[in-house]
Amino acid sequence: MGMKEITMNKILKCLLTAALVSLVLPWSSMAAEEPLLLELASTNIKISTFYNGTTLEVTGSLPADAEVVLQVSGPRHDVHLKEKGKVAGFLWMNKTDVALENTPAVYMVYTPEGAKEKFLNPELGVGYKALVKDIAISPESEDKAFVFGEYVKLMEKSGVYAINEGAITYGEPNDGVKGFSVTLAIPSKMSAGDYTVDAIAVRDGAIFSRVVEKLTLELSGLPKMISSLAFGKPLMFGFMAVFIALATGLIIGVIFRGGGGAH
Amino acid sequence: MLHMYLPIAGNSVNVFLILGLGGFVGLLSGIFGVGGGFLMTPLLMMFGIPPTVAAASDSNQIVGASTSGTLAHMRLGNVDVPMGVMLLIGGVGGGTVGVQIIKLLRAMGNADFLIAVTYVIMLGGVGGYMFWESLQGLKKDKNPPVQEEAPKTEQKPAKKSLMQSLPFQYKFEKSGCEISMLLPLGFGVLVGILAAIMGVGGGFIMVPVMVYLLRMPMHVVVGTSLFQILFTCVNVTIMQSYSNHTVDFVLAVLLLLGSTIGAQVGTAVSKRLKADQLKIMLASLVLLVCVKMMAGLLMTPTIMVALKGGH
Repeated sequence: MGMKEITMNKILKCLLTAALVSLVLPWSSMAAEEPLLLELASTNIKISTFYNGTTLEVTGSLPADAEVVLQVSGPRHDVHLKEKGKVAGFLWMNKTDVALENTPAVYMVYTPEGAKEKFLNPELGVGYKALVKDIAISPESEDKAFVFGEYVKLMEKSGVYAINEGAITYGEPNDGVKGFSVTLAIPSKMSAGDYTVDAIAVRDGAIFSRVVEKLTLELSGLPKMISSLAFGKPLMFGFMAVFIALATGLIIGVIFRGGGGAH
Repeated sequence: MLHMYLPIAGNSVNVFLILGLGGFVGLLSGIFGVGGGFLMTPLLMMFGIPPTVAAASDSNQIVGASTSGTLAHMRLGNVDVPMGVMLLIGGVGGGTVGVQIIKLLRAMGNADFLIAVTYVIMLGGVGGYMFWESLQGLKKDKNPPVQEEAPKTEQKPAKKSLMQSLPFQYKFEKSGCEISMLLPLGFGVLVGILAAIMGVGGGFIMVPVMVYLLRMPMHVVVGTSLFQILFTCVNVTIMQSYSNHTVDFVLAVLLLLGSTIGAQVGTAVSKRLKADQLKIMLASLVLLVCVKMMAGLLMTPTIMVALKGGH
């Protein structure tokens, strides 16, 4: 698979120009097997002052008789959770400490219309059932499937985990090749870091081709400045925060004294 | 709608929503002399802000709101500075201890239970007593128009003798009482510790302490409470920035733009209300929060895991 990936990347680079041309001109058959192509509208997203999440257009093409599924996943880390439980028999509280190790911060799957089951298959490495295999739980005595399932609910609620069925649309097949396009959601909860967009082409229930692209989110402008100050010079940051709060309070206080008499 | 990205919380929020939230809580702060953290923190969590960031940024916001509110109350002669300073010295000491206690409690793990239960009991007890007491006051007000400022309770003689036996007696002019300086100092420490642990300004504990234990007139309580909350929150903000990196400056600024204005309006409202009316409103608010917290503890959660706060 690794070899195949490298070859794919090389082919991808060589054919990028060709791919662009193919949007205008009818695709002329160049090889016996049409490769899977994937292109992101942007591979670097800047998180600036008024950022509120965004969307990312993804296009590509693949043999007409195959299907494609996309996986977006984020930096893997250990997630520390509190499992809720009853205390004193009737009070629901955060009770047990559990950690899910090697869990992606973001996990989103995009599939074409229909045949969801065909793609969310652990054997293809796609979907939550496949994801849970790479994850370890500590302590091991806890129920991994249950805790991960609840964690997925929590992440789906904040928008960083999702299964988007029917999000991928295909173009008309032409000369044994069809184009596909999908709009990826980049929620504001998706923090700065490196992510991968993984396109998997499936034919007869098996992967025959795969292309991975890197997607980077980074802080810029005011958010970057504040973040580096908060972590780099925390004491100064604290004093600055207090000073600005005091100044605002004083200014508003004085303004109201000026105009307050009339009320 | 205009959104802004919160770099520490790692999420973006609707600017007008947060300004409005700040305005509402600032209003309460001007009326009752509470920081409003006990309302603000859960509301911010509802908008997807991590609990530790919500609490720390809120204490930064309270600095602005209470500066604004203190100024307004000072003009009305409602701030007892010596009393405030004693409460404050205690509060700063308590706050510093409290931040360390949080770390210790987190390391021990089972502290959540202890905190939640004391919180609910305290809210219920304080709110219930204040509600009952001010209801009696309002009833009395309606029948014969007796104008008595000092609340009447049975425990008065016992407390007085204990208070008078302590050293460092001092006459607090604005509060109209002569007590030992050690009393406000001690209460300050207690409230400061609680404020840091629970991520609240401590106003809703401080206000009843001043009304019932220090026997100060309600309007002076509000002003003096704001005065000391201001300094307590300055300390908590700096400590949280330094030790836990949880103050989101963008969030705090948005909140305080709303709350500083709200605090001014609140003070104007407070001026028009009678002491018992103020007390019964604050008591209802405290009871409401208590019921909400109890519901959270009693109802089966829809999601059985939660992210562990901070690291």
